[in-house]
Amino acid sequence: MEMNPKEKIIIIDDEEVVLDSCTQILQGFNYDISTAPNGSQGLKLVDEIKPDLVFIDLKMPGIPGMDVLEQIHNQDNTIVTIVITGYATVDSAVEAMKKGAYDFLPKPFTPDEFRLITKRGLERRKLVVETITLRREKELLRENFAAIVSHELKSPLSAIQQNLFALSGELAGKLSESQNARLERMKIRIDDLIKLINSWLRVYSVDISKVKDSFSAIQVLTLITKAIESVEPHAIRKDIRLITRIDEQLPPIEGDELSLVEALVNIIGNAVKYSYPESQVTIDSVEKDGMIEIAVSDKGVGIPEDELPNVLSDFYRGKSDDSDESSHGIGLTISRKIIEAHNGTIFVTSKPTVGTTITIRIPILKEVV
Amino acid sequence: MADQKRLLIIDDDPDFVEGIQSILDGAGYAVDVAYNPKTGLQALQSKFYDLLLLDIMMGRGAEGIMIARTMRKDPKLREIPVLIITGIREQIAFLFPGEPVHPRFVAIDELVEKPVEPKLLLEKVSTLIETAEARKAKTG
Repeated sequence: MEMNPKEKIIIIDDEEVVLDSCTQILQGFNYDISTAPNGSQGLKLVDEIKPDLVFIDLKMPGIPGMDVLEQIHNQDNTIVTIVITGYATVDSAVEAMKKGAYDFLPKPFTPDEFRLITKRGLERRKLVVETITLRREKELLRENFAAIVSHELKSPLSAIQQNLFALSGELAGKLSESQNARLERMKIRIDDLIKLINSWLRVYSVDISKVKDSFSAIQVLTLITKAIESVEPHAIRKDIRLITRIDEQLPPIEGDELSLVEALVNIIGNAVKYSYPESQVTIDSVEKDGMIEIAVSDKGVGIPEDELPNVLSDFYRGKSDDSDESSHGIGLTISRKIIEAHNGTIFVTSKPTVGTTITIRIPILKEVV
Repeated sequence: MADQKRLLIIDDDPDFVEGIQSILDGAGYAVDVAYNPKTGLQALQSKFYDLLLLDIMMGRGAEGIMIARTMRKDPKLREIPVLIITGIREQIAFLFPGEPVHPRFVAIDELVEKPVEPKLLLEKVSTLIETAEARKAKTG
């Protein structure tokens, strides 16, 4: 059976009476207490026993307490430190806390005060360690998620799709029209699933903020044109006109073209998806207060007011007027993350049965002086 | 057919293999299959192939890459064009940090993602074989 390891405390103080009384106050608790009469021995102890909590007297001969504090944090900033201040010197307490001390304990203090601050310090340490563990687990999960999702979900879907591809070739001419149509639907549905998995991978296993590494000057017109090219087939299917009103001579923005086009494709694609057939989607772009604003408006089903705040969050899924359209509710999340990685903003306004406008703003490229 | 091209597929997913094999069969290729890296390498060493279709993630990890590495070291095998068919683009990039998404395994290779449309598959296969033959004619 594994016992909870004893929590390790070090007290560094040049007054023997303080060391003794502190050790005594904490007797009866399940702590492992060590003491040091000066900074250099204290630091050696910290290095040896890797404590959870260290008390440091600020006023000591030899290495000043403030330096001891700094050196401990340089060594391991998860160790919780509490400084003991000789007299009511608030200034040095504040300075110590700026340097990373968790709290301060003014002399003289009562046994209760000491026990309480010790307990709080150890609780703090527990939280710090837990946070680090959780963060590590989250990272690991994120990395594994990609592997698991790709392999366990994408592989079987790919195998199914590959066989559907093969079958539709082999059965060409042998199937009735409706059988053929069903086979095509199956391929489309599987394709949607594979795309959905790719989107999940994009959101959860790819760090979108990394696009910052590949920023360059981009023309807004290029972005919008490329995005429209990709959405147009869907618009034509629903007989929706895509209308652009782009200011001439818009200054370039700074960004990553691939991901910005992806963001726009999601937004314009969404507008098409939620539009009434035979209506129109407009894309306006202007310069405003040092930002490029792109507004995409549809004349569609709109979003109820109480659902508006959720639209840009993970897994929101609207009601498409055309139930055949697949909607994953993840496209706008990806768009939001991409826009935010460009120091931009995105917001939604909508009126049910009238339409929705999604507006993004991205800073224009700063002139290099 | 006098000049029937011989292809080898190395992939550990039999269902997926059937999907591409029947497309390649239908296009008149002679197709052999190996379901694991070991028999795949044996096949490569014992018989001549005009092209290899190679899966990356097999068994316990990126075992397809081991095959590519072995091929690269072998003066005969490294002349065989390779079509890499993989389900995981992200991991490919992850395995070759700092390299472009499409790694150069051997002299002539290409990468496609699973599933692959028949038209694209057949295009890639014939282009790779032609490129390899042109290269051989030039150097050989």
